[in-house]
Amino acid sequence: MAASVGEIERELAELREEAPEGGAWLRTSVLTHVAWAPPEWREAAEDALAGLAERHPSRTILLVPEPDADEDALAAAVDLRCFSAPGQEHHVCSEVIEVRLRGRRAVAPASVVAPLLLVDLPAFLRWRGEPPWGDGAFDGLVDLVDRLIVDSTEWEGELPPRYAELARLFDRVAVSDVAWARTTRWRTALASMWPGIGGVRRLRVTATPAQAHLLAGWLRSRLGRDDLELEIEPAEKLVGVEVDGEPAPFPPGDPPHPSDVLSDELDRFGRDRVYEDAVRAVR
Amino acid sequence: MSRASAIPHALDRASSQAEENPLLEGLAAARRPEPCVLVIFGASGDLTRRKLFPALYAMAYRNLLPDPFAVVGTARTELENDEFRAQMEEAVREHARDPFRDDVWERLMECSHYVATDFADDRGLDALVALLNDLDERRGTNGNRIHYLAVPPAAFETIVEQVGERRGREGWTRLIVEKPFGHDLASARSLDEHIHRWFAEEEIFRIDHYLGKETVQNLLALRFANGIFEPIWNRQFIDHVEITVAESIGIEGRGDFYEQAGAIRDIFQNHLLQLLAVTAMEPPIDFTAESVRNEKVKVLRSIHTPGPKHVVRGQYGRGFVEGEEAPAYREEEGVAPDSTTETFVAAKLFVDNWRWADTPFYVRVGKRLPKRETTVAIEFQRAPHPPFAELAGDGLEPNVLIVHIQPNEGVTLEIGAKVPGQGMAIRTVNMDFLYGGAFRTSLPEAYERLILDAMLGDATLFTRSDEVEEQWALVDAVVATWQRDRPSFPNYAAGTWGPKPAHDLVARDGRRWRRR
Repeated sequence: MAASVGEIERELAELREEAPEGGAWLRTSVLTHVAWAPPEWREAAEDALAGLAERHPSRTILLVPEPDADEDALAAAVDLRCFSAPGQEHHVCSEVIEVRLRGRRAVAPASVVAPLLLVDLPAFLRWRGEPPWGDGAFDGLVDLVDRLIVDSTEWEGELPPRYAELARLFDRVAVSDVAWARTTRWRTALASMWPGIGGVRRLRVTATPAQAHLLAGWLRSRLGRDDLELEIEPAEKLVGVEVDGEPAPFPPGDPPHPSDVLSDELDRFGRDRVYEDAVRAVR
Repeated sequence: MSRASAIPHALDRASSQAEENPLLEGLAAARRPEPCVLVIFGASGDLTRRKLFPALYAMAYRNLLPDPFAVVGTARTELENDEFRAQMEEAVREHARDPFRDDVWERLMECSHYVATDFADDRGLDALVALLNDLDERRGTNGNRIHYLAVPPAAFETIVEQVGERRGREGWTRLIVEKPFGHDLASARSLDEHIHRWFAEEEIFRIDHYLGKETVQNLLALRFANGIFEPIWNRQFIDHVEITVAESIGIEGRGDFYEQAGAIRDIFQNHLLQLLAVTAMEPPIDFTAESVRNEKVKVLRSIHTPGPKHVVRGQYGRGFVEGEEAPAYREEEGVAPDSTTETFVAAKLFVDNWRWADTPFYVRVGKRLPKRETTVAIEFQRAPHPPFAELAGDGLEPNVLIVHIQPNEGVTLEIGAKVPGQGMAIRTVNMDFLYGGAFRTSLPEAYERLILDAMLGDATLFTRSDEVEEQWALVDAVVATWQRDRPSFPNYAAGTWGPKPAHDLVARDGRRWRRR
């Protein structure tokens, strides 16, 4: 267990010298993926990572904050996750660093992450749960990365003011929202209702409140329909949309797996202006 | 208004769709093609089974097909719709790159139809047109048609004429033509003239499926998206270029076709020369069909016709490939026992322009070589004066940038590195970028990309008539010299890297083919 950034780097170097069983291997990285996963989110974060690492070889830094711990310390475990490359002789390996930030060491996680970022490659921050708006630890990490990935479905309470907080970050960092990504199939279906949908006045959405708000914000912003009214039928996922009482066509195919959704967001590099406009139009 | 100007570019169309429909902005569906019917001539053939339907399934799997959409297979074989669908299901299960999903197949199957007809039979073609009109009415495909000629070249003209005579006034019509496009310059021109009686150049999509490969497109990305390569991509820094298109398989029962074609018409004339063109072309002003093809055709025009000493042909004899005994070419079914058809061609080519003057392009294509491999290797000039040459010269090789088209898709840069320890020993090491390593998604099959592009009206990755003509002009000049002598075939054993003269071709210049 490494107790400092220096020790983490030494362990990483040692791992590179150890070839996994099966011969030749490549350490491949296309990005640094930083995941902020408090203990209650750790399991979900691990699940998403399991499917992600194979598709997006990256250096993953899993930050587990334990601010109430008795001691101020870092406790890091370094691991190499290897996959056989289809049709190729090599294994592809990614590095996973799990860092427990104990006590005061959870105050400035950016100072731990900064030396571990892969040089010149894009860095993504996946923040589980609602970000602590204005908190130093959060702000420090946001300023370090190229893209912040949240899932506003994970937020509790009134959503519009929370989206307003998120919108304040748009000029500092590109933002992805898993809740928004999960509406893509439905947005395509709704787009197919053009031009009839252009005069929409009422939207009834059976979904998580986050998805419902984002769909309504999207229609308001794209169609210039600021007066659009939203009725939410709470559900665990997006299963139905009615436009002025008319059901939207059900999109074909299955909803994507969580790691696929996250993976798609890691393919994005620029700002998503359509999403930003939708967030700003949440009422 | 000419047909050319009547066909808007796919990107313009996508952006105008987004302008009209504000909800499309940011959605991948902006690249979704307009409703259409894909008509496959030769639907009972191997290409349809192994490539086209698996490609359509992959597109359906990713929701990339137009909506509404229909595919109509047509061939001489008498089949009912259900039989055709069952055969295509089997083909998809066997050859698709994605797992078989009932719901995806159901969607594709539901819009798949079959018409049995002889292509020269007016009644059969009338029945086909009646079905297409019916689909327009029932499904709303708006008269938009893509006719895919997955048939032997001998059937091209008849089908083109039949289809051309019956093309409707509604919607757009496009024609996808499989290679080979002609068997020499004269026949290619004749076929072109025939097709142009009914179709404008912008409606003709000549497939060279190599251009649909991700790695070939990556060659363009490598050159034109990376500032470090373009300044050194010329005769001053590059010693030579080596392009290899190697197949370990034989002619796979295509004796009749191969006897007429040989390696030079089957691979050299199209895949290999297109790879050369993409490697050597000047930067296009944009990635539109005309800009890219304008630059490629300039390269093809600049290729100096090689003299007899710069071309080597070969034919395989018996040997062993991957441990299995392989028969000689002359022992293959459908091949004459005294055949002089070449199964291997190597050449030293020069691109006579400012960028490449005097830089040799060593190219080779062949069957029954030790392994399947297509690579473009750019060998740079040696370091002019390595200060440690006396100590370490043995292991020091020039830098080579290798683009692996298939398999092991990716890019390798060979560089010299110090061997750890005392002294200054240098060894060549590889810096690898493997597609499978950096992008852990399976690469789309070339046919998926090409069919989608044809549906979108984007001809960037298809060959234009002037490219095809330049390619044939070069091949005709080479073949003309072959008429004068009778080769001593076979001259290489199956499972080896071609005849000795191919090695001499490079060795005479103090070089050697890359080790594999």
